[in-house]
Amino acid sequence: MRLLKKILAVSCLAAVVPVLWYAMVTSQAAASRPFAAAFSASEEFQFEPPAPGSYRLNTFKAAPDGHVLDVHGISRNLSDLTGGKISLVSFVYLMCGDVNGCPIAMSTLFEIYETSEKLPDLREDVQLLTISFDPSRDTVEAINSFAYPMQIDEHAEEKLPWHVLTTSGMEALQPILDGYGQVVDRSNDQDVINHLLRMYLVDRQGNIRNIYGLGTIDPRLLITDVETLLMEEGRS
Amino acid sequence: MNRREFVALVAASAAMTAPIRAFADETCQSPYMPKITGQEEFVYVWTLGVEGMGDEQDKLVTVDLRSDSPTRGQVINSLSVGGRNEAHHGGFSADRRYFWTGGLDTNRIFIFDVHTDPSKPILHKTIETFVKDSGGVVGPHTFFALPGSMMITGLSNDDDHGGRTALVEYNDAGDYVATYWMPTTANMQGAVAVGDAVADGYGYDIRALIRKNVMLTSSFTGWSNYMMDFGQMLQDADAMKRFGNTIVQWDLHTRQPRKVFNVPGAPLEIRFPWGPNANYAFSTTALTSKLWLIYEDEDGEWQAKDVADIGNPADIPLPVDISIAADDQTLWVNSFMDGKTRLFDISDPHKPFQIYEKTIDRQVNMVSQSWDGKRVYFTSSLLANWDKKGDDDVQYLRAFSWDGKELVEDFNIDFYKLGLGRAHIMRFGSSELYSS
Repeated sequence: MRLLKKILAVSCLAAVVPVLWYAMVTSQAAASRPFAAAFSASEEFQFEPPAPGSYRLNTFKAAPDGHVLDVHGISRNLSDLTGGKISLVSFVYLMCGDVNGCPIAMSTLFEIYETSEKLPDLREDVQLLTISFDPSRDTVEAINSFAYPMQIDEHAEEKLPWHVLTTSGMEALQPILDGYGQVVDRSNDQDVINHLLRMYLVDRQGNIRNIYGLGTIDPRLLITDVETLLMEEGRS
Repeated sequence: MNRREFVALVAASAAMTAPIRAFADETCQSPYMPKITGQEEFVYVWTLGVEGMGDEQDKLVTVDLRSDSPTRGQVINSLSVGGRNEAHHGGFSADRRYFWTGGLDTNRIFIFDVHTDPSKPILHKTIETFVKDSGGVVGPHTFFALPGSMMITGLSNDDDHGGRTALVEYNDAGDYVATYWMPTTANMQGAVAVGDAVADGYGYDIRALIRKNVMLTSSFTGWSNYMMDFGQMLQDADAMKRFGNTIVQWDLHTRQPRKVFNVPGAPLEIRFPWGPNANYAFSTTALTSKLWLIYEDEDGEWQAKDVADIGNPADIPLPVDISIAADDQTLWVNSFMDGKTRLFDISDPHKPFQIYEKTIDRQVNMVSQSWDGKRVYFTSSLLANWDKKGDDDVQYLRAFSWDGKELVEDFNIDFYKLGLGRAHIMRFGSSELYSS
């Protein structure tokens, strides 16, 4: 079965929606072992995730497009990156020292990234994106350094793609922040950027399907929502 | 490399800066939103217009609380919204940049910008299509902030103007997202009635305990009652039967109802404590005058039980707003009819007992306390047609200090004397929340 899935996966373009084969195999898997089961429960989330597909994810609004820079300094359209895949998008800045801020988002995404090795089929359909809201310090060189652990990861090809992104400056960034609804307060103290921790689930069509804040950024919950979207595609 | 090692690696590669400000605030807000540092600077009072008084319109009144301000304790701004909408409750968006308020009669929702100049809110947007958007929900009541969206409880519906209603979700831009109808006996939506509970489909307040993925809603009454004269309604036996008797437990993430509890007598406000191990919430019943505990038992199941009387239930003092202290040790309970506030010791949530009471005035409704519990504010109006008549119809914002033993009045603003109308819900503001 695993070989069949690999063969099928290769034969499918990532942008093809819905991916019927996927629904077939994942619905069988979900019935016995949802993706969330691959993650260990944390003390801060004292509940069992809902069964994937047992609920409906709303559409909050369309995710905005915009120009971003990747770790190689190549200018990319956000829509080109997100189109055709389910994306977990988070806004961060590398200098963030707020224990209730970016480190939570980054470590959660990293946990999903690492654990995704156990869920190799997800790679074709799901990806992670972090976009810096501190483009003056989070230069291409800086985000490249941040992405170093993923770049040297020998098993990266079996895990979810992680796009580490920045922008050329506030002119390019602000419309993206506004479109997502990510609030960033810049004070006179340039070392500190006040912000609300947010993460966004974006479907293949570019719609924001869930918004997470402090207290809900539980990898089990995020991946259950991803699985729910995949099952929704299978039903359509 | 595990998650912890990754965080350490990232941390080592970045110059760690000082964390952003510590937050503290009024206790009854959505836990998702940032909190005010230190002392609140302003209090916004959502105020009902009165025919023949001032401009007769509903308005957002801003009172100055800045300790060093020459206008401290005074109304510094008043923003009228056009007409009388039965102004009632409101709540900030999760980014706390906007204050959403509702009109129970016209179903209009007013979204005020409170971040551009916190001393002078601006009307940012008015939603005129709540009933149509929601598929027939009437009476937008509680505004509970979620990340990127606003959950609004309804009180009624446009089919029979009774108490059957729903939760309605909008995104932060004010665009409709979804409607979640309350469970009824005819459509339990997968929920289970506990004991002799009868799912009535009514709604009122909403609060959530995020780490348990639990959301609770309470129940009140429909448009045909809350827009009726209070004295007339009390004499109407049929009308008195049309009050909610349930609290519903929901799955917060999926927005699906799980349990329906029997909580007779119109349970109104719901408050969760703040402690990391506090797995319970309080509510009070308006008509039966009891304090209720909704709690997780040793088996991980949520239950509901009444744990104390508020005054003498036979007198129907009509408990209204409640406010739980940030240390989870005490609970303020207002009762409208006798104009009293009572303080309960809730250190053992299963055995609360009253430790203090004071008559605030001839009628009292809302209470808001600061995070440190040292300042307590009261307003007066319940509903336009339910407020007392004649000399007993007093309308005010009264501020008190609380030293742990006694409420001492700080200032008293007579809303009628200023031609403002009926003072209802209060929410705190501060310029410290916004750095740009």
